[in-house]
Order: sequence, then structure tokens, then C-alpha cells
Amino acid sequence: MKKKLVSLILSSVLAVSLLAGCGSTTTDSNVTDEAAGAASEVKVGEVTEASAEEPAEEVSITLGIWPEDTLVEDIAVHEGYVQTMKELHPNVTCVPAYYKYSTDTFMPMVEAGNCPTIFESWFTEPTKLIAQGAIADITDELAARGWLDAMNPSIKALLSDKNGRVYGIPRDGYALGLMLNVELFEEAGLVDGDGYPIYPKTWDELAETAKTIKDKTGAAGLCLLAKDGAGGWHFSNIAWGFGAELCKANDDGTFTSNLASDEAIAAMEYVKSLKWDYDVLTADPLSEDWGTGFTQLGTGNAAMYIGANDAVNQPTQVNGLPVDKLAICPIPAGPAGQFSLYGGTPYFFSKDATPAQINAALDYLEVMGKAPVATEASVEGMKADAQNKVDQGVPVIQRFPCWVAQDVLDAEAAIVAEYGNVDPKMYDAYFEATSSEGLHLEEPGLTQDMYAELTKVLQAVLTDANADVAALMKQADENYQTILDENLNNKAE
Amino acid sequence: MFFNKYNDKKDGVIRGYDIRSPKIKVLAVLIMLVCLFMVCVCLFPAIWVFLASFKDIREFTKNVTIIPDSFDWSRMGQTWKAFKFTKYYYNSFISIIGSTICAVFFNGLLAYGLGVLRPKGYKIALGLVMWSLMIPGVTSIVALFRNINLVGLNKSFIPLWFSFGANAFWVVLFKQFFEEIPKELLEAAKLDGCGVFQIFTRIMLPLSKPIIMVVAIFAVTAAWSDFLLPYLVLNGTDKVTVMVKLFSFKDTPTDAVSVLRASFFAIIPPTIIFAIFQRKITDGAAAGAVKG
Amino acid sequence: MKKGKRRTEGQSGFRKKDLMAWLVMTPSLLLFAFFVWEPLIENIRLSFFSTKMYQVVDFIGLNNYKAVINDVDFMAAFKNTFAYTFWSLLIGFFVPMIIGVLISETVHLKGFFRMAVYFPNIMPSLATIWIWSYFFLPGPTGVLNILFGKLGMEPFEWLNNPAWTIPLIVITLTWKSAGATALIYMANISSISPDLYEAATIDGAGIIQRVRHITAPSIIGIAKTMLILQIISVFQILYEPMIFKNGGPNNASISLMMLMYRYGYRDYNVGKAAALSVMVCIILVILSGIYMKATAKKEEN
Repeated sequence: MKKKLVSLILSSVLAVSLLAGCGSTTTDSNVTDEAAGAASEVKVGEVTEASAEEPAEEVSITLGIWPEDTLVEDIAVHEGYVQTMKELHPNVTCVPAYYKYSTDTFMPMVEAGNCPTIFESWFTEPTKLIAQGAIADITDELAARGWLDAMNPSIKALLSDKNGRVYGIPRDGYALGLMLNVELFEEAGLVDGDGYPIYPKTWDELAETAKTIKDKTGAAGLCLLAKDGAGGWHFSNIAWGFGAELCKANDDGTFTSNLASDEAIAAMEYVKSLKWDYDVLTADPLSEDWGTGFTQLGTGNAAMYIGANDAVNQPTQVNGLPVDKLAICPIPAGPAGQFSLYGGTPYFFSKDATPAQINAALDYLEVMGKAPVATEASVEGMKADAQNKVDQGVPVIQRFPCWVAQDVLDAEAAIVAEYGNVDPKMYDAYFEATSSEGLHLEEPGLTQDMYAELTKVLQAVLTDANADVAALMKQADENYQTILDENLNNKAE
Repeated sequence: MFFNKYNDKKDGVIRGYDIRSPKIKVLAVLIMLVCLFMVCVCLFPAIWVFLASFKDIREFTKNVTIIPDSFDWSRMGQTWKAFKFTKYYYNSFISIIGSTICAVFFNGLLAYGLGVLRPKGYKIALGLVMWSLMIPGVTSIVALFRNINLVGLNKSFIPLWFSFGANAFWVVLFKQFFEEIPKELLEAAKLDGCGVFQIFTRIMLPLSKPIIMVVAIFAVTAAWSDFLLPYLVLNGTDKVTVMVKLFSFKDTPTDAVSVLRASFFAIIPPTIIFAIFQRKITDGAAAGAVKG
Repeated sequence: MKKGKRRTEGQSGFRKKDLMAWLVMTPSLLLFAFFVWEPLIENIRLSFFSTKMYQVVDFIGLNNYKAVINDVDFMAAFKNTFAYTFWSLLIGFFVPMIIGVLISETVHLKGFFRMAVYFPNIMPSLATIWIWSYFFLPGPTGVLNILFGKLGMEPFEWLNNPAWTIPLIVITLTWKSAGATALIYMANISSISPDLYEAATIDGAGIIQRVRHITAPSIIGIAKTMLILQIISVFQILYEPMIFKNGGPNNASISLMMLMYRYGYRDYNVGKAAALSVMVCIILVILSGIYMKATAKKEEN
């Protein structure tokens, strides 16, 4: 009898939930908001003496910016930040929830109400995320802190909507360069009298350098990506050197795909020759993505890899390259000049985050030293980070400025000077090149879709020696135009 | 002697009397060798992942070897700790227990109705269930996920548990078994004043231990391996299961050996269960589908 | 009056029993409704609407279907899905049969063989996909290249060769599932009466003839069922191409379900995802119809 009762209860619960499901299809937004509201799990009790301007209410934030699980030392640093947070903002509970942004995992997470309060993303994403209402407007919180004016204006524009509302803040900027495994350069005899690597200045030179390395060491000269969108991302930088403009933003708000230009085809032909004429790539470019590229470089399977100053921990700390054996040089020049793709990593905030949560997350950024303030806690955060880098054999080098606050820049420079653990000459040319005219923002339009199309072409030319590059690029061009028309151009009318 | 045993062979094409011919002897040895080769093919990936888990990233990406340089268990331990696998195991076990109970209880109950009680109009329900056997859930996962969020069951194990209560294949297994239970037993119970539900709990379930065992084992392995719905519902919460973690490697820059070690951890529990219940599992797998 | 009352009584007794039975089934049926049937219907509804995030916005008729068919990757995915089916018929259908027949012929270690071929089946598919992805690495460090290198062979491109991508993926699927199917065939084979073989032997039938005339006919019925079930399951292939090569190289392994996954979760276009899954469902229903017909005939026989 008891069991019968249980089953009846179960069935009625189910029936109710089913009915609720059907009933609420028309007014979904309320339900999801409600569910999300529950996520903030406000803690009751234990009201502590907070400073005057701090709200006393208990706030819990989930940190998508927590380090990846295997980076135990970095996690320890973040645990230190959490301690500092506890002292400065005792009402805030920090919950680690590492999240690596990717296009096909983000929306389900938002939909299920599991989006972390703060997470990192890409500069290609804000337009789409803002349009979908998937991230929080943080203009007011930033204005109250005076951070709006401290932001690099071009970056601010990227992270804002048409009305000037701001939805994100930059972690840091980057400009793509060419990371070098100096060990392999030494082995191949490609070092000058002082032991600095002789790096390639043009794409043609790169092919030759890579060939030398392959012949002398057996390691691949270059690690090229062709697994996912990152392949197209790197390729776009190569294409600019050949004079390509991959997508045109028209005056009427529409976009025109331009993937089949002679310049773009020339760039793709060049990539093809790296595989079939020079044979200097890693064994399987189609398995290489952003992360494995660093593995190949760091473990000595590839001598060169397109990378930037914000990822120097990847070859070293994660993949074991000695700290003094990493160098970065500028992206080689093509016939049309030298360009470096300039972008950055933005922080976004869950659409479900309350102002208190957003403020708590911004406080956390201050403690990390990733905010445009040079407070004591903030500088301490920067120092902890730098010390950890020294301990883990990660080069301490300058960041790419994303804030224009002078005191922050000064504080950062002082820390690099104090903790610097590498020979700056290994990075000089890179930083010189990236402070000049050659910086190039990512292509406009539906950039990730363009990358996807380019990656398909890369996959084709890297697996088929007889691939017809012009035809493939033409197909990609048509495909991308279709995607643009369907998602942007027709809707702009 | 190798060939003597063939005299007692009960099934198959080669009969005991055939084995006297030398040609057949060669054939029997050949078949034996082919089978041994198949065993290698079937087991090697699992053995390899165990061996490869001992390599570090440099060794893994550079060395052209199968056997690792050293068997350093501390590397395994580090990865286990870094990923907090204890927590994932714990979550997976919670998920499995609920799923298995739901799988046995709800599917059994439905099969009881469709196979034994057969109320007026049961054929409609039976038809619907049989059709859902043909169209498994992946096709409507987007709509299902949306519904789960609408009713507020996200971030919880509940939808995962209940989703195991609606498995057409297991309903069919139960139904076939129930149909073979002698009707006299049920009639006798009815005379004793048992209601339909009591007949189910007092007569059907105790008599159905073999099939319950089979479905339970299927449910345990299926629940352990299930990842798309758990990923959608649980990712980003503190209820992440082993498979959810394994699926998320698709997008994280986790190094290859850590992924392999995690894969190794993920195959340990099913391997243990299999080692214990292998006889039951292989028999169940064969018997279950023969009639289905 | 009297007559009428009696009839109601009789009916109500009958009804009560039915009602109880339906009540017993209700919880399970509700679960089926929630997890299986309602999403299917919901899919059909969603496929006619435009959506913002996962919220329904406007009725747009067949536009989602048009968008799916005009999608730049649709044709590739459509063709590939049939290629998967074709290869799984070629490879996945016969391998379990052969395994079943061979193991049936052993007398030593039979239980061990049964266990070993079934073992891949209990391994979580995600773990096996990750493992296979390292087997198929094209460089000298790929596991298969290491093994074949020991036999003196040059490193092979494996999944990177577009002509091999789908067949190799089907091989991994077969590796995983063949054992389970083989066990079913073995159960069928062992239920064949020895008298049949003996009679055949007396008629002078050799081993091959016995397999052809006795073993084969006895498993053909179950084989038909296995065939259609296999087609249906391989039609929904999703995770393998997604994790192995993300649908590459150059769409050589992208499948319809993968496309649906992208619409639903990458592009947030639930309507389009629903439209595609309705299309897949229609194909599956047709295949299921064929199956139902085939089994119905079998039962008649």
C-alpha cells in the first residue's frame, strides 16, 4: 500500500510538472529567470562588519575564470585571491567553476541557468551574445567605479552595443606573433653569435627556416592549425600579409564575403606549399587546435607556432619548455606587408547575475590585478601572479595594454621589471612590431563562421595534394556569403 | 589433448566426428587463432590506455612506443586529484543509483500493464512504446532539453533518473519475461485478495529476479556512459559526472595525457562490474535480444 | 430499467479493473510522454517557428526547412549520413555474424572469447572515442602507426584521408558493438538442433555447405532485425565525427545529427534544429515501417 501511494505521488508530481511544461511554453522567460534567480543561492546568517560602501548582503559568485583543473599551482594562486576576497569582502562567497568558452557549449549552459557569473570569451563574440541577450549589461557598474574611461576606446567599442551600453571588459589584449622553440633553433644551427634565434622575416623565409629545422632536427618547422575555427583565425593573419581583405563591411550595414580574392587564394596556395612542397608541418594539422599547438611547440615537435604574449604559460608551464627557451618574434611579412592580428580576451558576465554579483566579480578582478586600478590589493594580486609565473617557469613579460590608466600601466611595468625572468631580447622584435602600424583587428561580419569556412578549405588543401585551391576558396566564399545573407544582410533591411 | 575436447562439442557446424579429419583439425586451429586475434583487437585499446596513462606529455608526443618508460603511479594520482575524480565518481554513483531504480521500477511497471494486465486499449500504448524503440532520443534532444528547463528540473539529477524510466527496449525485455510467468500464480494471488499493485510487488518482482538483474546491469552501464543529457543539464554545476567531464575535454585545452588518464579512470568501474557479472551480462545480452 | 442497471454494473466492474491497470501504468507512461513523445511533437511545432534563444517568436511556415536545405553544409551531411549507413552495412553487418560463427566453433576458452568480444560494449563510448582518436593519429606516434610500423609499414593518414574517414569511423562503431550482436547470433546458432548437421553430414555436406544451408538460414531472421536496428542507430551518428575530426576533413565526416547539434547549440537556432530532426525522423519512420513490415512477415511465417 505504501508503495502504491508513492507511485501515485510520483505520477501526480510528474503530471503537474508536465502540465507546467505545457502551460509555460508561451511565457518561458519568467520560468528561466526564476530558475536563474535561485542560482545565486543567497546565504543567510553571519553578517560581518563590512566597510561602509560594501553592501552587507551575502553574495555568491561562480568563477568561470578559475584555472583549468590540471594547473594546480595556478589554482593555488587563485585560492590566495579568494582569501584576499574574504578579507576585503567577507560577504562574498566564491565558487570555482572553470569554463572555457566555446560556441557550441555556451548557449546550453545559459539556457540551463548554469552560466558562471564571470567568464572569459573572445572578441568575435559580443555582437552575437548581446543580440541574443545572453550576457549582462555592466555599464552602470563600470560607470560607478569609473572604469569606463579607463578602457581603451577601440576595445570599448568592440564590447558595446549600438546604444553605447557596455557588456564586457578586457582581460588583456594580444597581438599574434610567432612563438619559437629556441631549443630546436639551436639544434638546427639557426642562432646568431649571441645565441638569439635567427627568425624568419617573411613567409618565404619561414618556409626555408622551417625546412632547415625539419631537415636538421626532424621536428616540424611550423605547427599550423586546421581542426576548428582557430585554423581560420590564424589563416586570416597570414592572408592579410598577402594583401587579402576577407570580409567587407558595406556602408549600408551589410557585409560582403571576399574569400576568393587573388590575394586570399595566394595565401592558401602558400599554406598548401608548406605541406606538399616543403613538408614542414606537424604530422596531423587536422588534429591541432589552439591547445595542442602549444603542446607541439613546448614538447619540441614543432619549432614555430603562431601565438601571442598572453599564452606564454602554455608551452612552458603546461608543456614543459624551459622558460629561457621560448621566444616570440613578429608574424612574418607577406608581399603586402606585415600585419599582426590584434584582439583580446574579454570578461563577460552571466545575464542572470545581479548587480551585487557583478560588483563582487569586478572586485575579484581587482584582487587579481586585472582591473584598471592600482590599489594595494590589486598590486598584490599582480605580484602573486608574477611570483607564480616565476615559480612555474613562465616568462614574465609585459601585457598588451587594454586599459589606458597610467598608474596601472606603471604598476605593471614595475612588476615586469621586478619579476622579469627572461631575456627581453627574446621578445623585443615582437613588441616593437606590435606597437607599430601593422595591428589589424579581426575581420568584421560573422567572424567565427568565416573561420569555420576557411578551416574547411585548410583541411582540404592539407589532406589533398591535388586540391584546387581557387575552386575551394570560391566555394567557401559562396558559403560564407550565404551565411552572411541569411543571418545579417537580410535582417538588416 | 587439444582435439579431444571437440568430441563433446554440442553446437556449431564442426561435429565431434569431423575432428578425425586432418583438414578439420587445421581448420579448428585456424579458428582458434582467429578468435585469439579478435580477443587482442577487442582488449588492446583498454590495455593501451592503461599503459599510455603512465607517460608524461613529452614522452607521449615524441616516443614511438607502446610501453611507457616507467610505471609512475604518482602521475595517475596527480591527475585524479587535479580533476577531483572522487567527486565525479560520487556524482556518477548518485546518478546511476537513481537511474537504475527508475529503469527497473517504471519500465517493469509499464511492462506489467502491457504484458499481464492488458487493460482495454493497451494496444495503443504498446504501439507507441514499440515505435519509440525505433526512434531513440537523440533526434529530439533539443526539445527535451528545452522542456527540462521549462519545468525547472535543470541543474538536478532528477531528469537523468527519470529519463531511464522511459526505455522502450527494457519495457520489451520485461514484457517478454512477464508473459512467461504462469497465469495460475496470478490468479491464485488474486483469489487471496491481492490488488494489481500487490501482485506486482509480491509475485511479479520476486519471480523476475533474472530479468531485473539484466535490466539493472544494462542500466548501470548505460547510466555510467550517458553524457549528452547529463552534460546539458549538469555542466557548470557541482554535480558534474565522470562522463560530463570527459565530454567537456572536447573544448578545453587539457593536455592529451590528462585526457587519457581521465578516460582510463572512466573505464575502471564498468570493467570491474563486467569482471564480476560477466557471465550474467553476456547471457543476458544474448537472451534479451533473441526475441526482441 | 432493470436491464440497463445490470449492464452498467457489468461494465463498471470491467472498468474498474481497466482503470487500475491504467493507473499502474500511468507513471511510466508519463515518463514516456515527457522524455520521448512530447519532445517529438514539440519538435514538429518548433520547426515552424523562429526562435530567440530557446524562446518561440514567430510562426514562419516552412522557412526553417528551407534554411536547412539551403545550408552550406547540408548536402555534405546528407550524403555522409547515407555513406555511414552504406559502410555500416558493408562492415558492421557481416563482422558480428562471422564472429558469432567462429566462436561457436571453438571448444577451448569459449567463455573467455564471449567475454572478450563483448567487452568493448561495456566501455563508455566517450572513453573509447578518445582512445581511438589517438590510435588514428597520422604521425609516427599514432598508435596504429606504431603497430603497423613494427610490421615495416609507412605511417598512414587514417582519418585525414577523406576516402577513409567514414569507413574507419564505422570500423570503430563495429568494434564497439559487434560483440553484442555476435552473442545474439551465437545464441541462435547454439539452438540449432544437432540432428540437422548430422543429417547433412550423412548427405555428404562439407563444412562450408553446412554453414550455408543450416547455419545461415537459421540466423537470417534475426539478422534482418539487426540490420534495420543498425541502420537506425548509425543514421543518428553524432559523437564520433564530432570528437574525432569535428566533421572534417572539409566536411568529409559531418553527419545530419551533427548539423542538428550545431544549429541547436552553436547557432542557438532551435527552429532550424527542430526542422532538421523532423526530417531525420521522417526518414527513420520510413525505415522503421520497413522493419515493422519485415518482422510482421517473419511472424506470419
